[in-house]
Amino acid sequence: MAAGSVIQYSGHKCFRHRLVLSILSGKPVKIHGIRSDDKNPGLRDFEVSLLRLLEKITNGTVIEISVTGAYVSQGTATGLLCTKAGTAILLKPGIIAGGPLVHDCPLSRSVGYFLEPVIMLAPFAKRPIQLTLRGITTDDYDLSADLIRTVTLPHLQLFGISDGLELRIKKRGAPPGGGGEVQFLCPIVKQVKTLNFVESGKIKRIRGISHAVRVNPQFSNRMIEAARSILNRYIPDIYLHSDVYKGEESGKSPGYALSLLAESTTSVLFCSEATSKPGVAPEDIALQATRALLSEISKGGCVDQKHQSLVILLMVLGSEDVGRCRMSQPTPQTIQFLRDIRDYFGTYFKISPADPTKPDSSDLLYSCYGTGYVNANRDLA
Amino acid sequence: LARRRRRTRRDWVKDIYSSDLSPEEILSQPSSSLAAEAQKAETAAVDDEFFFTKKPSNTVSDSLDPDHLEFSDKSKPTLNPAELSKWEDEEMLESIRSLFITGVDAPDGDGNDEAGGDGEE
Repeated sequence: MAAGSVIQYSGHKCFRHRLVLSILSGKPVKIHGIRSDDKNPGLRDFEVSLLRLLEKITNGTVIEISVTGAYVSQGTATGLLCTKAGTAILLKPGIIAGGPLVHDCPLSRSVGYFLEPVIMLAPFAKRPIQLTLRGITTDDYDLSADLIRTVTLPHLQLFGISDGLELRIKKRGAPPGGGGEVQFLCPIVKQVKTLNFVESGKIKRIRGISHAVRVNPQFSNRMIEAARSILNRYIPDIYLHSDVYKGEESGKSPGYALSLLAESTTSVLFCSEATSKPGVAPEDIALQATRALLSEISKGGCVDQKHQSLVILLMVLGSEDVGRCRMSQPTPQTIQFLRDIRDYFGTYFKISPADPTKPDSSDLLYSCYGTGYVNANRDLA
Repeated sequence: LARRRRRTRRDWVKDIYSSDLSPEEILSQPSSSLAAEAQKAETAAVDDEFFFTKKPSNTVSDSLDPDHLEFSDKSKPTLNPAELSKWEDEEMLESIRSLFITGVDAPDGDGNDEAGGDGEE
């Protein structure tokens, strides 16, 4: 694709999305000024680790990292951990290769940080991806392995990515020690379906996963009881599962968390999560997660705010037809993502009130014309 | 009920694609017209000077949020205890009942629609 057109950004925000868009669009990206005003400037270990993971998943990707403006490392990001962290990178994307891969994630971020961009790339690989990630499985910053399994992956099914799509949580790993392990399996597709998701429906069931590792297993049940004290008033179909991992499978550090999801009659999924903090009772963690779920439900739309970007990306990559989705107000990340998509794909979204006749409804209808993206990497066997 | 939506419609397309405001700035404005005005004021200020000064709003948000520099690229929003505490209110809890299958559409019959809690324990 149009060689020579390098897309440029400044700062470390939306780092993952910009790399993903570069690889999908085939356009090189240059990101400079990465924490250049910080006391400790430059890329963090998790960002370097992500670059290495993207290098493993793709074939022919060139990543250059620069410290002062001169590119010091050519060709590969391997071995960069021993050099001074750079404040600028240049990524020239190769093809998405896929296949069986293993990656050890640094303990500064959970496996969710790494999985989220991989999920955006995996359906368009040459070969189906089987990625094993080791590290922290649940933290406060990114989607946990549980939410990715129960909420993120079903979102891919809306676009026709389903057979063989799976996330296995083999071991759990709470921060700071980690020790968890997940395996992500994703099929490849030729093209994704055009989305038309405008009916929110009504919440018919609530599911949850409560887990506690290396602490009193009763904590898990205490969280479930506290969540039920709020949720039981709404619907009878509530099943909160206490997920038990023992011994080796429970990682290296103590911790517990409650992940909740609400499903509507039209398969809308809202989710929330809260994780253990020192000095906070399991009941209070559960109440936080439950109230966050109610907040998500009250925002409305067909897509949870945490999944706006994923849905928007797959709408852009859809066949050459108008895709439509009803969502709540965009998050700051979504706004930036919409702008970045314009830079890479030239696609503009139309965003209009979903119910123009109801003044108190804040739901929005997002629509765009799909780019007709075809997976050219795919093995034709 | 408790949720009061703003009256003026925001032009999201304009704010996102034709303004230079940061996403946070857009969301902090109650409506499009205000956002546009703020932008005008800002560009005017910048035009006056030869040197670009840093947007003060960015520095403020940087210093307010300790995670900002390290973890700005995260997908889960930080749980805000003040925001969540509104759900301690009974009326607030009832206000979203219509979003569940056990709820009724119109706000008139908000009595006993076989409350979901009884059966399951």
